[in-house]
Amino acid sequence: MTISTTSFNFVREVVRAESAIVLEPGKEYLVESRLLPLARQAGHPDVDAYVGELSTRRNPGALKLVVEALTTNETSWFRDSDPFTALRQSIFPTLAKTRSHREIRVWAAACSSGQEPYSILMTAQDTPELAGWKIDMLATDLSQEMLDKAKAGEYSQLEVNRGLPATTMVRHFERSGLNWKINPALAAQVQFRQLNLVRPFPPMGKFDIVFLRNVLIYFDLATKRDILRRVRQVMAPDGHLFLGAAEMTMGVDDAWERVPAGRSSVYKVREEQPTCAR
Amino acid sequence: MTTGTAPDPALVHAAFEQVWGSMLFTAFEPWPADAVPELGPGVQAQIELRGDWNGRIILTCDTEVATQIAGAMLGAPAEEVLPDDDVHDAVGEVLNVVGGSVKGALGGVMSLGLPGVTEATSPPSPDSSIIISWYGAPVFVEVVPDAA
Amino acid sequence: MRALIVDDSRAMRRIVGRILSDAGYEVLEAGDGQEAIDVLEAQAELPALACVDWNMPVMDGLTFITEVRKRPEWRSITLMMVTTESEQDRIVRALAAGAHEYLIKPFTGEALMEKLDLLGLLPVPAGDLS
Repeated sequence: MTISTTSFNFVREVVRAESAIVLEPGKEYLVESRLLPLARQAGHPDVDAYVGELSTRRNPGALKLVVEALTTNETSWFRDSDPFTALRQSIFPTLAKTRSHREIRVWAAACSSGQEPYSILMTAQDTPELAGWKIDMLATDLSQEMLDKAKAGEYSQLEVNRGLPATTMVRHFERSGLNWKINPALAAQVQFRQLNLVRPFPPMGKFDIVFLRNVLIYFDLATKRDILRRVRQVMAPDGHLFLGAAEMTMGVDDAWERVPAGRSSVYKVREEQPTCAR
Repeated sequence: MTTGTAPDPALVHAAFEQVWGSMLFTAFEPWPADAVPELGPGVQAQIELRGDWNGRIILTCDTEVATQIAGAMLGAPAEEVLPDDDVHDAVGEVLNVVGGSVKGALGGVMSLGLPGVTEATSPPSPDSSIIISWYGAPVFVEVVPDAA
Repeated sequence: MRALIVDDSRAMRRIVGRILSDAGYEVLEAGDGQEAIDVLEAQAELPALACVDWNMPVMDGLTFITEVRKRPEWRSITLMMVTTESEQDRIVRALAAGAHEYLIKPFTGEALMEKLDLLGLLPVPAGDLS
């Protein structure tokens, strides 16, 4: 059984509006299979009934689940807000006391269309302790298409509406036709590079901060463990790793320790590596 | 008198496309070149742009299509019968959002009027319109500069 | 919590109203700035939030925001423009007049929720919607 054209079209437009990702005809199976668990959870016999209710209720929380089920890319600015608050209030000020060369190295390891690295840079600019500092920002993604978009720094009206405070928007963006273009000086601070997390990393040096959010969930346990092990090797000894809100290192790679940071938490490499289990 | 440049059809097209997807949850389909657009008794919505360029964007479609557009925008259940006022209001708001997007993209000093919606009296000329296909029915969009 | 939606379009009030009531708000409505002032004056309990369109008959949204900011007893209301006006200088003007946030039409429901999150006005934190 496949879903009706009406259901598919509705889901396609919701996903396009929220994420700029287009589900081409032929992806009905994908929609059906990804949404069936959500439909069942919501008490519907099939996806059509579920989408029917979605299209009349338009509950943003439910629509968000649909978009997340169908996309692997993140599109919000300052996503989840807490990590950025933690950067501004504690992590950046702490690093500012310990880095005599006035430079902080950051890696956004799954940068998608660029909202995350740009949000980190904007946060650094809002941190008084970092006035006059350089942020050496590397942003990588598997998709060259996403990297090209990130580098161009041009976003639709729908994209700039997502989580970007109005004051930040007028400070860092200029109107470009129907779209908004990020300040070129900000874009020039990011080095964009294609990188597959599953493969050995190229030489990159050590990072003070790594964002690896909402990407491990797509890998199996062995791959997760391998990625976290290799990320450890590119961390400065007092470096901070950010994972997605629903992700953790516990039980995957216990060489990491979870430390509280504001309302959320970050991960640091344990000073003493745990020995093998007895 | 009109001094600035009229909005480019590609811009108007793109503004509709954005509104169609995000407000109506419907893919924007251009009218097929080989089909003849026919219009029944209809609804006409217009919005004025004033400033560097002076003119109007006008949307014309038949009553049934207008009702469906309003229903899609509101997420109205199929059994809900929308009164004419609500249909006119919804179609007017669609055009208001398109008008604002177009105005913002044009830049310069411009202001936007309030949308007006009436019964359509005469069908627009297909030659001077962007025509959108609403599930096989035509929606006419015209960009009309003020007479000099 | 209560929210006031000020928009001359009934359709837009219904759309924004549904999102806000799903988020746990009790929704009040007004069709223009003057009506919104009348609604506020009649309330024993002020809304925490007002979503305000710009272009409206009688009194526009910018004037309404300016009027609200003149009244100390209405200081507690968080003001968000929700409008198709999208030039940079319009946003700056609205913020200067006292708007706390600015959401440009067209927007998606999630964008509205994220703005509420920014304003600390989301009864349920964004991450916990499931």
